[in-house]
Amino acid sequence: MNTPLPLSDVPLGEPVNLSRRRFLASTAVGALVIGFGLPMGSARVQAATTNAAERGTQVPAFLEIRPDGSVRLLSPFMEGGQGTHTAMAQIVGEELDADPATFVVEAAPPGEAYVVMENGMRITGGSMSVRMSYPTMRRLGALARAMLLQAAAQQLGVPLTELTTQPGRVVHAASGRSLGYGELAGRALDMPVPDPASITLRDPSQFRWIGKPVKRLDAYDKSTGKALYTIDLKVDDMLHAAVQHAPRLGMTVGSLRNQAQVQAMKGVHSVHTLTGAVAVVAERWWHAKRAVEAIQVDWLEAAADSTLRAMPADFSTDKHRDFLAAQQGPARDDENEGDVAGALKNAKTRVEATYHNQYLNHAQLEPPSALARFNPDGSLEVWLPNQAPDMFRADIAKRTGLDPANITLHSPLLGGFFGRHFLYESANPYPQAIALAKAVGRPVKLIWSREEEFLRDVLRPLAVVKFRAALDDKGLPVAIEAVSATEGPTEALAGKQGDKIDPTAIEGLSGKSYAIPNKRIAQIYVKGPAMLGYWRSVGNSLNDFFYEAFLDELADKGGHDPYELRLHLLRDNPRLTTLLKAAAELSGGWKRGPYTAEDGSRRARGVAMASPFGSHAAVVAEVSIEHGQVKVHHIWEAIDPGSIVNPAIVQAQVAGAVALGLSQTLLEEAVYVDGKPRARNYDLYPILPPSRMAQVHVKIIESGEKMGGIGEPPLPAVAPAVANAVAQLTGQRIRSLPLSRYTFS
Amino acid sequence: MNTRRFARTAGWLALPCLIAAGLLAWYVTREPASPFEQEQATTFDPALVSRGEYVARLGDCVACHSLAGKAPFAGGLEMATPLGAIHATNITPDPDVGIGAYSLADFDRAVRQGVAPGGRRLYPAMPYPSYVKLSDDDVRALYAFFMKGVQPASEPNIPSAIPWPLNMRWPIALWNGVFAPTTTYAAKPGQDALWNRGAYIVQGPGHCGSCHTPRGLAFNEKALDETGAPFLAGALLDGWYAPSLRQDHNTGLGRWSEPQIVQFLKTGRNQHAVVYGSMTEAFNNSTQFMADDDLAAIARYLKSLPGDPQRDGAPWQYQTAATDARPGAHLYATRCASCHGLDGKGQPDWMPPLAGATSALAKEAASAINITLNGSQRIVAAGVPDAYRMPAFREQLSDTEIAQVLTYMRSTWGNAGGAVDAKDVSKLRGHTDPASSSPIILHMR
Amino acid sequence: MELRINQKAYQVEADADTPLLWVIRDDLGMTGTKYGCGLAQCGACSVLVDGNVVRACVTPVAAVAGREITTIEAIEADDVGKRVVAAWVEHQVAQCGYCQSGQVMAATALLKHTPAPTPAQIDAAMVNLCRCGTYNAIHTAMDDLAKQERAL
Repeated sequence: MNTPLPLSDVPLGEPVNLSRRRFLASTAVGALVIGFGLPMGSARVQAATTNAAERGTQVPAFLEIRPDGSVRLLSPFMEGGQGTHTAMAQIVGEELDADPATFVVEAAPPGEAYVVMENGMRITGGSMSVRMSYPTMRRLGALARAMLLQAAAQQLGVPLTELTTQPGRVVHAASGRSLGYGELAGRALDMPVPDPASITLRDPSQFRWIGKPVKRLDAYDKSTGKALYTIDLKVDDMLHAAVQHAPRLGMTVGSLRNQAQVQAMKGVHSVHTLTGAVAVVAERWWHAKRAVEAIQVDWLEAAADSTLRAMPADFSTDKHRDFLAAQQGPARDDENEGDVAGALKNAKTRVEATYHNQYLNHAQLEPPSALARFNPDGSLEVWLPNQAPDMFRADIAKRTGLDPANITLHSPLLGGFFGRHFLYESANPYPQAIALAKAVGRPVKLIWSREEEFLRDVLRPLAVVKFRAALDDKGLPVAIEAVSATEGPTEALAGKQGDKIDPTAIEGLSGKSYAIPNKRIAQIYVKGPAMLGYWRSVGNSLNDFFYEAFLDELADKGGHDPYELRLHLLRDNPRLTTLLKAAAELSGGWKRGPYTAEDGSRRARGVAMASPFGSHAAVVAEVSIEHGQVKVHHIWEAIDPGSIVNPAIVQAQVAGAVALGLSQTLLEEAVYVDGKPRARNYDLYPILPPSRMAQVHVKIIESGEKMGGIGEPPLPAVAPAVANAVAQLTGQRIRSLPLSRYTFS
Repeated sequence: MNTRRFARTAGWLALPCLIAAGLLAWYVTREPASPFEQEQATTFDPALVSRGEYVARLGDCVACHSLAGKAPFAGGLEMATPLGAIHATNITPDPDVGIGAYSLADFDRAVRQGVAPGGRRLYPAMPYPSYVKLSDDDVRALYAFFMKGVQPASEPNIPSAIPWPLNMRWPIALWNGVFAPTTTYAAKPGQDALWNRGAYIVQGPGHCGSCHTPRGLAFNEKALDETGAPFLAGALLDGWYAPSLRQDHNTGLGRWSEPQIVQFLKTGRNQHAVVYGSMTEAFNNSTQFMADDDLAAIARYLKSLPGDPQRDGAPWQYQTAATDARPGAHLYATRCASCHGLDGKGQPDWMPPLAGATSALAKEAASAINITLNGSQRIVAAGVPDAYRMPAFREQLSDTEIAQVLTYMRSTWGNAGGAVDAKDVSKLRGHTDPASSSPIILHMR
Repeated sequence: MELRINQKAYQVEADADTPLLWVIRDDLGMTGTKYGCGLAQCGACSVLVDGNVVRACVTPVAAVAGREITTIEAIEADDVGKRVVAAWVEHQVAQCGYCQSGQVMAATALLKHTPAPTPAQIDAAMVNLCRCGTYNAIHTAMDDLAKQERAL
């Protein structure tokens, strides 16, 4: 997920008044809790200001230390598998001097206190969580440690300077006395939060947990079914709901032909008409689901003034791709250096090619759900998967007319991230859940069936990119031009083209580091009928495929090895040269093939690079053709995120990103015919099964440069590395995805 | 041959030829007689309209003449023919594009004889060779329903895509002369009323033979009633193999009791099978709406049709599967066994058994291939869509893999349908589409 | 009807064709078994019935009445299951974790029948989908479990 452009305009809600009662009410887990400094909600905490220097200094808003010494941390970031909760425990624990294993981490509620990112936002996405909050969260841990030290000094009656800590304890070495953090939590309540400027952070060379493969805090719960996702939650007196969506977005409910029959079905509480959907509320979800499927709705075409992007009845993905390919402009330049036109004109060799990709679904394994409850005092509580609680709360306030202070928003674990949990107007179940809870006067949990999810999921964009390049007499590229006819997800959410080019449309074509003196990267903005969204690695997930596959075409045309050509084009870039060589070395030394492997299969390798989300990646892929399909045997990936917090989680994220990258390369494709998605479940929208997975080998390079992201950066180079290997093996250029559309023999 | 002599002979022949041509022209464009010529239907008793609606259910008119989301009976279903696509017409009482201007006699000629006003012949995609057996009373009722029970809709008819001269309709009259009977159903003496009612529905309005009876070279059904051995003996049509409805042990209803047949037609499922393929449409739109008495009659009649052991092969008996290293066995275990069971016995009555299934015993593998590629469309029984549906595997399994898993399925647990060729999978893949996972409801009003 | 789940008897009132998944989750409140697709495609709902792995989303509850059902909630009460969970934690398999209940159940079923599976047997049995792409980690964990068994 990338940073959406208009975020800075989004109201982040009012500063939270962290009264003790409210704080506990919103997060209580039932056990006897002694809140660390909780009553300090007074002026001091609230005054802890919105200025950047003091972000993340409201210690009580983040931390509770329980009598047993365990630490409860409210994380500004959502856990969706990327390991951010564990990383937060490592970072805070390092400075607090508490073993991350003693942490319990949950997602914090909305509120200014939790805006800790250096860009002034709070969103889990864009691979930003750790890199944008790292110094702030360290300081938070250090502030908390200072408060514990002060408390211990009082309790033991010794000077502060004589105290030290060891994990979970304050130690007075002179007297041999020590106090556990749990014993100090009560007294620490009364301590003022120290001046952030007075805090000294730990010397990185002394890190015990940061940079180490600390075990994930959620590994056990997630291996035993104990982890709770929104779909699992239950509150007293709760009813269940299911919906049937309009077959095309924007259509509205005309009439229900058989409402009485459905109303009489077993377990049905009530039948409801919503915007673009009908719903059944029932005692059991299965009853609701079967009943809502039975409703025979006469749907009306979208009204002309529909605020939704109305899906036309004749929309087809294949036709839309042809439409994009036919666009001539005007185009807007994102990068324009040198004299591309001149270089092309005078070129010894000109190379042209047109590439395209495919629409994709998120297909996260947890179907969307939301639980809404109106409390007797008129306040509203909502549990929903999300990646930006303040934005969601503001949206709920807007929809319900409620004061944000009367809305409690809970952010449970996410059953898959991938960009699905952004604020998509038409693709979230919580507005429906809230409307239903209001209508029935009882809490309602709404689950979208997998079929309803495929009908409303927003799509990863489609682009048709026309490349032109010039080679000099040595066969080296001297000019490259890429013009992409596409619509980026951010401009799709805005509904219009912005003043500046939407980076999520063009990143990965732009931002390449190769030393090609003349280059032009441009976009032809084409607003399409399908609603778009962010998909892991966003623009890079398609654009690096286009660019890196075309670069291999240039290498071949110019008579150069693609690996050597990349090294040549990066000759003045030591960081990327090191990275590329590391990937080659990891693979046992660059060898392109084709060659015959030990098992007798003919194989070839491809290489590609990408620099998304502040990190850099280089991938070598090894492929063969098996039963007419591409088999990817190995992916060797070197990644340089500058510096890291948890190498084990980084490795896992690389493996996961490779899997998703392979999935979009080999199989995935959202196809629309007659305005409707052909696939409504995994049967017609296959995602990577274990049998198609490659063996992933990871090399992490900590160049020491500014910390970059990890969730998304490993993905974009996978598709072009595979495509380049396939082209080398089969002689067939791969200019589109997925590969299942090709026939190989 | 001498040219002059030829000319003279030709001259002699010209007259008879002209006469013959005239007769032919008359024959192929004539409007056949209707018993309703003198009958002016002007008022329609609601009971008659309602009776007609039931006849329309028996005849499943809606399946071809309606499209989901469009006005009932406004036409539109595309039927592919080797010559080009044709589209079912608007049969609402719209006077211009529909049948609003039809007299009862016009209507009768169209339904029972395949002749539109003016003598234009309908394509026998319209099952008038079966509907001819409809009783006069049922035609009268059906007419009342279409005139008063159906709302006029001005949806224009879609011209056929068949090019000239193949689109000329008059040769159909000759086809009719050879293949289409001209008489209504006559009760068979010696059989009881239940049997006769069943025979009437099966042969007449139900037009079961359209799918289940094998066709001859002229695309004619090889038999139209129980007097012909091919009647309902199983046939391949539109990528599905409609199984035998005779007493064939393997490929027919030999193992089904009468109550099981009734249950199948009423609920879409029984311990042997669940409706799928084209039968889903027949069930969703027609058989489930039939009265219990009529279903019992159908069951009685079908159970009276003898099987043919020679065609059907050695009677199937369940055999426990041995350990099997074929790739199809592994595919079956991972892709199919969750629902159909490792033992192939399914989870009756929800997921059908594959052990002993007609699709696993018939030589024709089309149905097995088709359902595997495309999945099942939703069965909507009593207004409620099914709890479980068959997924489509076309995007997940290659032609070879589908051939492997079906070969396994058709040669295990005593099944003897035989191997499936990947080429046949490829062929069907090319001209079929995946089934919709949304319920498709066709309304009649 | 009576269901035997995790060695306990439950009286449930559900239509015969209700999927076992929804009886477990909604009627009995055990949410460790996940809904992913409802179409036997993903395996997130895998449970054991008489020791065999079964996809609860396509198992009509009436079909398993009287049989021994094991869900993820009782996985550690089983010796094999306990080892699987330990291996899952040791190898840090889970990411978002949504599919992992099903993965652990499938792994347990395999190891109960084949205590020391070969890599090919692991590949053949571990077919549940994981959108986070934890397949390498799953395979490593299974390999490790098989090796432990061989070492005994």
